[in-house]
Amino acid sequence: MDPAFWAKVHGATTHFPIAMTFVACLCDTAALCFWQKPAAGGLRAAGRYAAIIAALGSIPAVISGLVMTRGDMLGHGELRWHHLFVWPAFALLVVAAVWRSLVRDQISRRGYVGYVGAICLLTALIAATGYWGGELLQTFP
Amino acid sequence: MKPLHALGISAAAGAVALLAAGALAAGLRRQAAAHSHELPPYVPPAVVVQLAPGELQARGKKLYFNNCAHCHGVDAHGDEGPDLHDLWVSDRYIATMVKRGRKGEMPTFAKKLNDADVAALIAYVRTLN
Repeated sequence: MDPAFWAKVHGATTHFPIAMTFVACLCDTAALCFWQKPAAGGLRAAGRYAAIIAALGSIPAVISGLVMTRGDMLGHGELRWHHLFVWPAFALLVVAAVWRSLVRDQISRRGYVGYVGAICLLTALIAATGYWGGELLQTFP
Repeated sequence: MKPLHALGISAAAGAVALLAAGALAAGLRRQAAAHSHELPPYVPPAVVVQLAPGELQARGKKLYFNNCAHCHGVDAHGDEGPDLHDLWVSDRYIATMVKRGRKGEMPTFAKKLNDADVAALIAYVRTLN
């Protein structure tokens, strides 16, 4: 097998959940800004499905990453920084997706504000994870 | 479902996801360690076999402080590099890691340490168990 096989699989699987998390953040923030508008319902639904799809898409990304590092959950240097952000991001993504799929639209504006805050934090964590993943590519070209 | 009740369930789901990742990682580490034992057994160089265990460990300790303590800590409990106590990998794995290093994480010592030095280092590291 190609020794870089799992590295390629990891690269192929990570970008989808990253993109979907950003989409979820944008849709939910827009839904909060236009809470009273007719489009808000559609934006909330789009944000909900984007978060769920991102969580599902993160599973192959996490598995391929673990196989690539042979089970190293922390590591050193850039890998350590990558992991310091990825594990909180992964847990928060699963929590957000499960919560949204359970409560659906039965949520107060106050609760939604909290959720959007969590999604923004999640997006920042995902961005930092991606940044350190990119730094790893500089180390392991 | 009430949002707070759903939060409890989703927090549990997040914890389960992390635990599953941890379990997968532990399995992969065990597999990697077992694979290292499938390689030919580690044979210390002849010059090392002639040394008494105490001499070998003392030599390894000196080499450790000169080459490894900077990253793994004076007490070998880890600093920039990992803790070296209770290693469950084979002697061959340690020898390969010392000689080849790991790109971006640990430098290679192939030019600095010969086989006898590596064997002494392994003997010292094993005393940390």
